[in-house]
Amino acid sequence: MKDKIDDLEKNMFPSDGTGLKPYEWMVRPTAQTQWIDDKGLFLWLAFFSSEIGAGLYFMSLFHEYRPGIILGWLITLILGGTIHVLYLGNPFRAWRMIMKPNTSELSRGVWIIGIFALLGFFQMTSQGGFNIVFNFIMGILCLLIISHGFVTMNVIRALPAWSSTMVLPLSLISGIWVGSQLLQMMFVMGGSGVLASGMEVWAKVFFLIYLICVLLYVWGTYHADKIAKESIVIQLKGKLSQIFYIGVGGVGLVIPALLILIMWEGNINGFLLFLRLIAVLVGDLALRYTIMKSAVYKPLF
Amino acid sequence: MPRWGMVIDVKRCIACWGCTIACKEEHFLPPGVFWNRILIGETGKFPSSRKLIYPILCNHCSDAACVEACPTGATYVRVDGIVAVDDKKCVGCRACLVSCPYQQRTYYDQTVKDREYFPGQGKTAMELIGEKLYPFKLGTVIKCNFCMERLEEGMKKGLVPGRDEDASPACVNICPVNARIFGDLDDPDSVVSRLIMEKKGKQLKKEFGTEPAVYYID
Repeated sequence: MKDKIDDLEKNMFPSDGTGLKPYEWMVRPTAQTQWIDDKGLFLWLAFFSSEIGAGLYFMSLFHEYRPGIILGWLITLILGGTIHVLYLGNPFRAWRMIMKPNTSELSRGVWIIGIFALLGFFQMTSQGGFNIVFNFIMGILCLLIISHGFVTMNVIRALPAWSSTMVLPLSLISGIWVGSQLLQMMFVMGGSGVLASGMEVWAKVFFLIYLICVLLYVWGTYHADKIAKESIVIQLKGKLSQIFYIGVGGVGLVIPALLILIMWEGNINGFLLFLRLIAVLVGDLALRYTIMKSAVYKPLF
Repeated sequence: MPRWGMVIDVKRCIACWGCTIACKEEHFLPPGVFWNRILIGETGKFPSSRKLIYPILCNHCSDAACVEACPTGATYVRVDGIVAVDDKKCVGCRACLVSCPYQQRTYYDQTVKDREYFPGQGKTAMELIGEKLYPFKLGTVIKCNFCMERLEEGMKKGLVPGRDEDASPACVNICPVNARIFGDLDDPDSVVSRLIMEKKGKQLKKEFGTEPAVYYID
């Protein structure tokens, strides 16, 4: 009998929250689950993939480094695109977004990715692809793709933690920071030690801006309003605190900071750069996860 | 063209859950899916605490956050003010679901479809009939539609929504204390408009600027 009751409860009130008892609905700050739990995890990974691919492409433009833009293009389109489709579940329906670019950030994002795919292909395949005009256009497109995920979240007024003014700068710098680390690693693997060593100066700058943006996001959102503060409390003291302190703080900030200090003089080391790249990737994933997972709705009264 | 809206008198509501059940019957909603909820809570501290009973449903906002977020135009505001979802256009991105400040939408997937009212015993005849009579498309978002089919059918017969049962939402018809009043918000002489004016009707979460068509009076 107990099994049957358990079964019933599981069916009626599943963990995704859709089955919450109707009289408990939105009485307290309610977490958003659709874009982070279950299939929502694909969206988290999709935004991340598009960001790192576009970040790598963006940084490669400054060095006119063809392998970098090819890899960035592939990560953005193949990895990011595939994961987006996995989230949507039905690729034969997704094309409808293209038809309505005036409706939302999501459909505008699809257009931007489409233009990026087309122009990026021309840049990769043509000999004169790295002229200043082309680079400028592709740079803008990369920045739009890097910020696409967070812009989509940023326009959602119902979730104050996502509407924070620091979300956009944070997404831009995290994309550039991750992209620069990927490019530096590619230089090391390609035997361009001098270029990799030269990029170490930028690593310090990008890391410092990234650190400031993370701190400003936490501080700014905490002081924005009561519900936004609730999200930060969940990150710092609630169920996401371990991911925040270990993932974002320890792996994403402390380890890269230590490795930057170790390589301060520009004496880069391939293994340490690889370690830093992994730490930066994990840290960025953790940051995105905590921001997406901690967003809560204001109670109805 | 009228703009349909609802006034809910929270003083009259006795939290009988009649609206919740009538809605589930009308649309054959699977277990765990509610287009109408009764929200019970408290505000303030003793001795000035107050118990609140709020029946809630989709607010059919005229500046709806879900419409803004929809990338395909599947969610749209009809000329009569009802916020509807065209399941042929919906791609299941759930942007509308995330952006709704009232959280009144449900993603209809296989898990929801497979739910049974009596787990492990198969679907009842009622549930099976419901799947045929009122089918939902998998991988789309579903929500309250102010019983627009009833409204349209009733109006074809010359009935008036809000006055005649066959042209009014199921939750309005079932309410035993007439706590729900349905009518045309654009008509200054309609019962809903007069109640909103006289009793200073309030909208939920007005600060989001969504302009809900559901008003609360007490």
